Amino acid sequence: MQGDSLKKSIRSALLKRPQWPFLTVLIFSATLITGGFRAELTLANFTMIYLLIVVIIAIQLGTRAAIAVSFLSFLYINFFLTRPYYTFLVADPREVLDLFVFLIVAILSGQLSAQARAEASKAHQRAQEQVILFELTGQLNQSAEPNAVYQILDRVLRTDLNARAVFILPKERATFEHYQTLHYFLLQIEAEIYGTLCVVFDDPLSPEKQRLLQTCASQAAMALHRIALAERARKSHQFEESDRLKTAILHAVSHDLRTPITVIKTSAHNLQRLYDPQTQLEIAQTIESEADHLDKLVGNLLDLSRLRAGALQLNRQLNALEEVVGDVAARVWQLTHQERIQIDFPDDFPLLSFDYGLILQALSNIVENALRYEPPGGQIVIRAWIEGKSAHLAVINHGAAIEAQDLDHIMEPFYKGHRGHIGLGLPIAKGILEAHQGALTAENVAHGQGVQLILTLPFA
Amino acid sequence: MSLKILVVDDEPQIRKQLSIGLSGYGYTVNTADHGQAALIAIAQHPPDLVILDISLGTPPDGIEVCHRLREWSKIPVIMLSVHNEEKIKVKALNAGADDYLTKPFGMEELHARIQAVLRRITSEQPSVSPKSEIRVGALSIDMINRLVRVDDQEVHLTPKEYELLRLLATHPGKVLTHRVILNAVWGTEYGEMDHYVRVFVNQLRKKLRENPTRNIRYILNEPGIGYRFVGDDPT
Repeated sequence: MQGDSLKKSIRSALLKRPQWPFLTVLIFSATLITGGFRAELTLANFTMIYLLIVVIIAIQLGTRAAIAVSFLSFLYINFFLTRPYYTFLVADPREVLDLFVFLIVAILSGQLSAQARAEASKAHQRAQEQVILFELTGQLNQSAEPNAVYQILDRVLRTDLNARAVFILPKERATFEHYQTLHYFLLQIEAEIYGTLCVVFDDPLSPEKQRLLQTCASQAAMALHRIALAERARKSHQFEESDRLKTAILHAVSHDLRTPITVIKTSAHNLQRLYDPQTQLEIAQTIESEADHLDKLVGNLLDLSRLRAGALQLNRQLNALEEVVGDVAARVWQLTHQERIQIDFPDDFPLLSFDYGLILQALSNIVENALRYEPPGGQIVIRAWIEGKSAHLAVINHGAAIEAQDLDHIMEPFYKGHRGHIGLGLPIAKGILEAHQGALTAENVAHGQGVQLILTLPFA
Repeated sequence: MSLKILVVDDEPQIRKQLSIGLSGYGYTVNTADHGQAALIAIAQHPPDLVILDISLGTPPDGIEVCHRLREWSKIPVIMLSVHNEEKIKVKALNAGADDYLTKPFGMEELHARIQAVLRRITSEQPSVSPKSEIRVGALSIDMINRLVRVDDQEVHLTPKEYELLRLLATHPGKVLTHRVILNAVWGTEYGEMDHYVRVFVNQLRKKLRENPTRNIRYILNEPGIGYRFVGDDPT
C-alpha cells in the first residue's frame, strides 16, 4: 500500500509543472558525482545516470528539451568523462559504439517518455473537464429560474476555470471581438437568444479550455431554454384553467345570478301595485333575502377569481383557531337559534399563523355545507387535533355518505353533484387553505356515520 | 328635536335610500356628494353624526375627510366601504372613525350602529359619572371592588386579564384594534406582540364561560382588526 502511494506521489510530482529546483539539483549532483569519480566509474555508469536525467527532463519539459539534453550529455560525457579527457577523441573504440548507442537510446526514450507524459496530462485534463461539466449540468438541471443559472455559471467559470470576471449581458451583443483573454458566447437555442456570456481571463486560453468554455455556455443556454419552456407550459396551463373558470362563471352568471335579479325585479314591480301591508312585507323580505343571496354569489365569484389568479394577499398573524370556530358557531346560532354545532377542542391548542378573515370564510363555507347535509335536529361536530407539524380540524356531519365518484369532485368549482347544489363554497375554502400551504380533504366516516371535511393548517 | 345625520356618498342612489331609511327612524338627514362639500357642511351646520363613504370618487377620499375632520371636531363618524379589507378598516379606525360598516348592509344594522355610537358618546361625556358596574347577560363586572361574576359566581382573573376585560367592557360596541388593546394593557414597549392579546382573550373567554354554540359571548372578533365588547343589548 505504502509503495503504491509513494509511486503515486512521485508520479504526480513528475507530472506537475517543471520543478526547476529539483532539476537543477539533479543535474548539478549528477555532474558532481560523474566529474568527481570519473576515474572510479565506468562509461556504463555515466550513460545510465544521464539516461535517467534525460527521461526525467522529457517527462517534465517535453521532447525538445529531452533531445537537447541527450546531445549535451553525449558531448559532456565525450569531452569530460572519456579518456583522453578534454578532447572529443575516444581512446577505446568500443566506447565510441557505447556513446552512440547512448545517444540514440537517450533520444528515443526521451521522446517516448515525453509522449507518455503528454498523453497522461491530456487524459488528466479531460477527466477534469468531465468533472466540471458533470457538476455544471447537474446543478443546471436543478435550477428553476434564469438567475440561478447565471449564478451557477458564474461560480463554475470563476472557481473551476479561473475566470477573472463573468458577465451575462441581456440579449445579444452586436459584435463579437474575441481577444486573447476576452471571450463572448451567445446563449442561444434555435432561434431563441437568452443573452450573451462574456468571460475575462488573466491568461490566453488553450484550445481545450476554449472548447470547455463553449460547452459550458451551451449547457447554460440549454438550461435557460428548459426554464423558458417550463414557464410557458405553466402559463398556458394557467390560461387554460382561467378559461375553464370563465366559461363556468359565464354559465353561472346566466342562471344563478339572473334568478335572484328576476325575483327582485318582479317583487319591486309587485310592490308598486299591491298595497296589502302583509303582502308588502313579504315582498320586501323576499327582495332583501334575494339581494343577500346575490351579494353572496358575487362575493364568492370575486373570491374564487382572486384565489385562482393567485392575487390573494394573506394577512398572516398568530391567531387562535378556536376563536374562528367560536365565530362560526355564534353565527349559526344567530341564524337558526339552534345549537347545531358541537365543539371539541383540546386545551392548550397553540396559536397558528393564518389570515383570520379568510380562514373564517373557509370554515363558514365548510360548516354551511355540513349543516345542509346534517339530519334535522342533529349536531355537526368540529374537532381539532395536532398531528405532526400541522393542526387539523374535522367538520363532521351525520348525513348520507358521498359516492366515491362525487368525493373527488365536490371541491371543484360549479360541480353539481347528485344533490344539485351549485358549489362555490368548498372550492373557495380549498383555495384559501391551499394559499396557506394547508389542505382540505373530504372523506366518508367509517360505517356510514356521515362525511367529514378535514382542514389542515401547517405550523409557522 | 330629532338628531341630525350627514350622509356623504358619491352614489346618488345610496344617498337617496339612506335618506329615506334614516328618516324612517326619525333622524333629520342631510347629504353631501363629495369630501369638500361634506367638510363645509359639517363646519356650517354641525350634525350629530356623519356617515362617510370611504371611496368618494374624487379626492379627498373618506379617510382623508375623517382625518381633516378630527383636527377640529369630535363629531362621531361611521365609515362605509365596499372593501371587505382589514387594512382599510384599520386605516379608517386610525383616522378617527368611531365605527365602520361594509356594503351591502341592512338598514337595521346601520341603525343599531348609529345608536351604539351615540350612546357611547353620551356616556363618555365628563358630566356623566362613570358606571361602577357593568352587566351583560350573565356577566357582571364590579369596577369598585374589581370583582367579576358569571351567573353570580366569582371568576378569578389575573390583573392583566382584568385590565383587558375592563378596557373592552368600558367601550361597549366599539372596535378596539389589537394595537390599541396591547398599548393600553401591556404598554407601548410591547410593540408588535399582537398575539399576546389573542392568547389573553382566549383565556378570558374560557374563564367567562362563553359558549359560542349558544351565542353566549361577551367579546366579539373583528377579523384581522381587533375586538368589540358586546353592546348593552347583545345581538
